[in-house]
Amino acid sequence: MIGVARPEYDPDGPLTAHTLPVGEPATVRRYVRGLVHRHRRAFLLLIGTNALAVLASMVGPYLLGSVVQALSEEGASAQLHLGRTTAVFALAVALQAYFVREVRLRGAMLGERMLADLREDFLVRSVALPPGVLERAGTGDLLSRITTDVDRLANAMREAVPQLTIGIVWAGLLIAGLGITAPPLAPVLLIAVPLLVAGCRWYFRRAPSAYRSEAAGYAAVASVLAETVQAGRTVESHRLGPERIALSDRRIREWTAWERYTMWLRTVLFPVINLTHTTVLASVLLVGGAFVLQGWIGVGQLTAAALIAQMLVEPVGLILRWYDELQVAQVSLARLVGVHDIETSGGSSTEEPRGRRMDAADVHFGYRPGVDVLREITLRLEPGTRLALVGPSGAGKSTLGRLLAGIYGPRRGSVALGGAELSQMPAEKVRTHVALVNQEHHVFTGTLRDNLRLAQADAGDEALWEALEAVDAAHWARAAGDGLDTEVGTDGLPLTPAQAQQVALARLVLADPHTLVLDEATSLLDPRAARHLERSLARVLEGRTVVAIAHRLHTAHDADVIAVVEHGRITEYGSHAQLVAAEGAYAALWRSWHG
Amino acid sequence: MNIQDLPFADPGTPDARSGPRFLLWLGRQQLGGQFAALGWGLLHFLSIAALSYGTGYAVEAVLDGSGARLALAGCLLFLFGGAIALGDTMLHRRAVTNWITTAARVQQLLARKTALLGSALTRRVAAGEVVAVSTGDVEKIGWFVEALSRFSAAALTVLTVCVALVVWVPSLGWIVALGIPVVALAVLPLLPRATRRADVQREKAGYATELASDTVAGLRVLRGIGGEELFLDRYRGASQEVRGAAVRSARMWSLIAAAQVLLPGLLLIAVVWQGVHLARQGRISVGELVGVYSAVTLLNFPLRHFEEIAMAYSFSRPSAKRAARVLALTRDTDPGGLRPDALPRGDLYDPVSGLLARQGRLTAVVCGDPDAAGRLADRLGGHAARDAGSTPSVLLGSVPLDDLSLETARTLVLVQDKDPVLLSGTLREVLAVPASGTVGTAEALAAAECADVLDALAQQSADGAEPMAAHLTERGRSLSGGQRQRLALARSLFTDPEVLVLDEPTSAVDSHTEARIAEGLRALRSGRTTVVFTSSPLLLDRADEVVLVHAGKVTATGSHRALLHQDSRYRAVVTRGPEDPTGPGDDTRAPGTPPTPRTSTSTSTSTSTSTSTTVTAPGEAAREELEEPA
Repeated sequence: MIGVARPEYDPDGPLTAHTLPVGEPATVRRYVRGLVHRHRRAFLLLIGTNALAVLASMVGPYLLGSVVQALSEEGASAQLHLGRTTAVFALAVALQAYFVREVRLRGAMLGERMLADLREDFLVRSVALPPGVLERAGTGDLLSRITTDVDRLANAMREAVPQLTIGIVWAGLLIAGLGITAPPLAPVLLIAVPLLVAGCRWYFRRAPSAYRSEAAGYAAVASVLAETVQAGRTVESHRLGPERIALSDRRIREWTAWERYTMWLRTVLFPVINLTHTTVLASVLLVGGAFVLQGWIGVGQLTAAALIAQMLVEPVGLILRWYDELQVAQVSLARLVGVHDIETSGGSSTEEPRGRRMDAADVHFGYRPGVDVLREITLRLEPGTRLALVGPSGAGKSTLGRLLAGIYGPRRGSVALGGAELSQMPAEKVRTHVALVNQEHHVFTGTLRDNLRLAQADAGDEALWEALEAVDAAHWARAAGDGLDTEVGTDGLPLTPAQAQQVALARLVLADPHTLVLDEATSLLDPRAARHLERSLARVLEGRTVVAIAHRLHTAHDADVIAVVEHGRITEYGSHAQLVAAEGAYAALWRSWHG
Repeated sequence: MNIQDLPFADPGTPDARSGPRFLLWLGRQQLGGQFAALGWGLLHFLSIAALSYGTGYAVEAVLDGSGARLALAGCLLFLFGGAIALGDTMLHRRAVTNWITTAARVQQLLARKTALLGSALTRRVAAGEVVAVSTGDVEKIGWFVEALSRFSAAALTVLTVCVALVVWVPSLGWIVALGIPVVALAVLPLLPRATRRADVQREKAGYATELASDTVAGLRVLRGIGGEELFLDRYRGASQEVRGAAVRSARMWSLIAAAQVLLPGLLLIAVVWQGVHLARQGRISVGELVGVYSAVTLLNFPLRHFEEIAMAYSFSRPSAKRAARVLALTRDTDPGGLRPDALPRGDLYDPVSGLLARQGRLTAVVCGDPDAAGRLADRLGGHAARDAGSTPSVLLGSVPLDDLSLETARTLVLVQDKDPVLLSGTLREVLAVPASGTVGTAEALAAAECADVLDALAQQSADGAEPMAAHLTERGRSLSGGQRQRLALARSLFTDPEVLVLDEPTSAVDSHTEARIAEGLRALRSGRTTVVFTSSPLLLDRADEVVLVHAGKVTATGSHRALLHQDSRYRAVVTRGPEDPTGPGDDTRAPGTPPTPRTSTSTSTSTSTSTSTTVTAPGEAAREELEEPA
């Protein structure tokens, strides 16, 4: 059998989890229409300059045709006006060069502008996503969209859209030019159409998904290596080296299988395109030659037509080459536009809390229908109280913390702050009252100032220093050289986990919410660093209502109230002394902690 | 070498002394492929050039009014067309194959190098470099190696056509022969500047992508605290800078495109001018004129390859340099080992710190400085990095671990660092590590208290039943820190090495679970040597022996309880009390009592009053203190 079968394993398969929606075709179409409309002037300009460039490019063949015509009719005595012809030719070449430059430049400018719009639109949309969606979906999918998909689109916008526009205008004008210089020859072009159409249909039905799989396969090769590098220690200590090599080889085999398949697709397409081109040229010359012999057209017309037919190779190649890319880009576009399908409005903004008391009444909550992870939770938190949630992993402590922070809304029952339902308030309002502090102490790439100012956009340097002072971070920030202007994050000064946490705490001081939910905020830190931090933390907590999801019993010991969460319910509730006296699960644990 | 034979059984030993040498080595590895591409390229380009001969022949046949010769011209055109199709397709296949085999070879070399370097990579700056090589550089290297043969074919074609034209139509041919080299070389001076601008653009694009991913990665923080506008503005700025740089770069490329129209155009004008004169004098035929004209337009194709090879080289040179640098990295110690591999047994002893872990016992190590603890744990495994000078190796029994092969040392002693990574895959794949075979996965998972992780994974997996087949997304990031930590512990327990060293294995685990893990660990490791770096009383209390390390030396040894009584430094680390300001002996509390409150704040608020009655809170909140209790 000739040909290569589609590989069975598809790296672009369902394992790459889409946790966020992918745009519906209608949404994508609407978006593209909007994009084209926004840039319609640039599109028209591109088409216009391109048409001029193509017209100028046809002057050469036309002039040569007339020269050939004159020479063949009159021989050596022909009136050629060679000087004038040459001047016109030179002018045409100069104009063509100028307009080709314009086309390239305008095309790039248009593509870049659309691309900038796309990526900025996407980020604008991403930062408006409800916190609940982010908590549940994670940021991984968003991350791959802003990196991989924007990258893929970059090629499409930068090259494919302008080049396709150019190619279509170019081919159209050449065909029209052929029709004008030698009208009887225009239908001859149709001879090659069936071959081209059949070949392209076969190819484009298979190519886009194959290229996606190929790209995914190649990305998988690189990601195995990236993982081996990041997990270097683990790989070495568990003697996983040979396995990583084997895995890498397997990914290479999977990737190259797709390369081989797409190569087969092109092995069909390339001859089709080449033969189409030969057919066009040969038919124009043969049929046209016959016409000349019959005296229906002149030899000049034939020459011009043949040269124009030869010029058709480029635009046709251009269209076929970039059409592929556009199809691949369509998928990425759908993924970018997909975030537009997520509801962003987080309820009404009319809910206004009166007071700071937090009330949870008969709360039920589950991530999936029919499976509640929290049941019958009723709590009341007076302002300034410290509540510690303790209990085994997976009991629902973190989920309860997220409900109290207004990130999720309860399935049944209510979580209200000062009488106002938290889940009904938009995130921008909730966060002026409640903040969730978790293990994620993201330090943004940028200056220390930017990292703090996000909590309070109009804060002056003095307020920022005060905040740093409050969390014991002012000394290292001062020592860092540029003070608030010190670049931190990936490219800048590397912060230790403890320093990152101090930055997170300083943000809290600036944001100044009256209620804090601490989810294992210090648990990933080394105990020794954690102890130092807890002093900073204690200062931040001063005067606020605190819900602490506690890993370590000393946190619970210091709280006003302890709630033991087991299997989604509160099984013990009371102060440390009460719970120890009650001889329940908490008491047992406390004893083992202290021996 | 064909694609279906990839990956290579052995990618070979690269010449990584420098970038160009590495490129040369890669080229030498596929000489056959290079010559095949050259051959097909010649067929392709020469047939294209021949097509113009066919066109000229046809026009001449028409002029002569010869139907028979016109038909012959038609046959010739189809013959050349067929040759073009064959040459084009086969050249493409060969070129792509060359590209892929080079890319695959470099990827395989990188995989082997990273697997060998292991932990040494994370200690070096090289980590980011390796990834950069694998994601971007491989393609550029492959591009150059592949483009070389196409360029040679194009260059040969241009040469052949020029010679042919000089022979066929000498009077016109010499113009072409003189003009073509000018056309080919004229844009080269523009290329360095264009590639530089393209580099600037790529750099800015990289920065913008980094900003975007940074913003998205911290999105939960932004949504929780605020600052979206601040970061959006920043990104918009970066994004517009990318646009500016891209347009600047496009200006250069559009200039090159214009030159590629202008110069061949001028050559054409010269050909037409001279050709018409010659034709008038009858020295050449009109058909020859048309043929030469069409040859010059078609030569544009091979000429593009001159420009491409220049670009490919300027892009791939830094890439090859970086790849060579990565491939030349080596480990500090000889991974092969100095002595024949025996499997020593006995106590584990570190002569530097004085740490002794007795065979078959559970030793807990308390170390005030977390970084020092990490370094000490690393040392215990042997073959550690030697940052400054050489230090005596850790001994197992009486054998220095550094003298054994890396493989043997790692088999004997497993050091689980503070931040073990779960590699991506299904849970079964995550746990598929080389092991002694004595401990089952179920046993290991149970000892590490992973029941809730299995539940969570079972809910996640599509069929809902088989947690072992569930995929850990984003390297387990869908799991909590504690859950990941317990899975990593289960993996180490499953491995069941002679000596297991654990650095803070339960720091993210809640106390309930930690207490059970301490029991499970002890039971499962009974009779095997285990060292745990921890400061958790729940673990310390179950150790056979507790060792306190301070300033890199063992300062006290004993049981948890004894040390708690006797050593104030130990007490300070373990109970998280304030660091003892008054020196040893100043023990204001009876041992075993709850730790002292950490700050004045907590004393003022946590007065251990009854359930949820309102507690006086300092500041504003006090105003609301008379709310009724829940």
